[in-house]
Amino acid sequence: MIEMIDIWKTFESHKGGHHTILRGVHGRIRKGDHVGILGRNGSGKSTLMRILSGVENPTRGRIRREMSISWPIGGAYGLLSQVSGAANARFISRLYGTPLQQTQDFVEEFSELGRFFYEPINTYSSGMVSRLLMGLSFAVDFDCYLVDEALSTGDVRFAAKCRHMLEVRRENAAMILVSHNASHVRQYCDTAAILRNGALEFYEDVDEAISAYQGL
Amino acid sequence: MIGNVPRRQRDGGLAAQLRVLHALVLREMLTRFGQSRVGYLWLVGEPVMLAVGVSTIHWITGHGLPNGVPVFMFYGLSYAPFFMFRSIVSRNAGAINGNRSLLYHRSIHLHDLMASRTVVEFTAILPVVSGFVLGGMLFAGVFPANPGLFLLAMVLSALLGHGVGTLVAALIVIFEPLERVVHPLTYLMMPLSAAFGMVDSMPPEAQKVLLSIPLAHVNEAMRAAMWGDKIVSHYDLGFIAVWVLILNFLGIAALRAVRHRISMAA
Repeated sequence: MIEMIDIWKTFESHKGGHHTILRGVHGRIRKGDHVGILGRNGSGKSTLMRILSGVENPTRGRIRREMSISWPIGGAYGLLSQVSGAANARFISRLYGTPLQQTQDFVEEFSELGRFFYEPINTYSSGMVSRLLMGLSFAVDFDCYLVDEALSTGDVRFAAKCRHMLEVRRENAAMILVSHNASHVRQYCDTAAILRNGALEFYEDVDEAISAYQGL
Repeated sequence: MIGNVPRRQRDGGLAAQLRVLHALVLREMLTRFGQSRVGYLWLVGEPVMLAVGVSTIHWITGHGLPNGVPVFMFYGLSYAPFFMFRSIVSRNAGAINGNRSLLYHRSIHLHDLMASRTVVEFTAILPVVSGFVLGGMLFAGVFPANPGLFLLAMVLSALLGHGVGTLVAALIVIFEPLERVVHPLTYLMMPLSAAFGMVDSMPPEAQKVLLSIPLAHVNEAMRAAMWGDKIVSHYDLGFIAVWVLILNFLGIAALRAVRHRISMAA
């Protein structure tokens, strides 16, 4: 289980003063949950993601992590951009202690990059980077996958493949998908929450969450 | 295939730490020297070129050295370790900005970024130094007086550089413009390091100043280890060790203190 207990996050403004982005976020994510977090641009989704992953600490409150959480899967977070996808796969394998060759083969097959798997990733399109990221994160048996928009760029077939992968692992692994796009959340999640005014509101039903989100 | 997921090995403490370091060291080599095998040669090639160049200049200008100490070898063995110290300081100082994205992996701590760079710089200089020593044995019949002391002094020099670099890296988080003065500062350290002149040949006032600087003690110790009683050396290993501890303690404490200031948003 992952529990967020009264998470606050304040940033110092460059012009002086403070911005408070998160104002008391509560929530629980259990094994096998596929939770979507919906929020408009600037609502603090990425900040919450960084705090969940542990790369940044909350200003106040705390996170109880009883599951291993992936790094945020999105952007080019945690990648070595000057080297190939294959070299990144070996890096992740060494870092997380998975078997080297098996990991590289898994990522190569999953990410479907063809010969680009052996090219530097700063030559990839954003869709290719996302596929590589999904492959890299699935190559490690995390208990919870934190997905930050990486699922939004793939085509229908790749989306189905990721969904299948998440289904296969449901017994052991949860997923938190952060998105501003309601249809992605509908596609991948069974519960959803809306992040607004610095707090999370959970909905049991995805459709209910989405209509509330669209009514914002 | 898709059900066949690689499993992590579960290990704790030291093994996990070494795994992280190993991954970072290999990635450091990879990003710095590209993916070709020849790239690794550059790691060694750069200090070799500089060391050979500096020693050749001194050799040609014919600075005399006492007791038949070969000039080429003397300056090569002074320059190479100093080059290591300098690159450890400057590589560590830039470690955070160059690796911010890696901090997304929770197992990577700030200090691991510096540690991996220090390991790379240290191992890169070993073949250079060995080359000079081996050349000396083959062509000049010079054998190091105390190889153990030489290695110890190299390690102390690396640790000293590690402490300074880590401290500077933390200070850069607080005050970014500092990054720009690191490079000139490492150059200005040259005369203060006693890497290119024996402390014993300096006027007494200069000796006093130099012997208050741990880096000068390190270079004196290396010369003592190499040339034995052919030269007069002044050094105190205890003094160096104390400075190594102080600087590394300060560096690591400073990193912890600034960790929360590092924003991934930028």
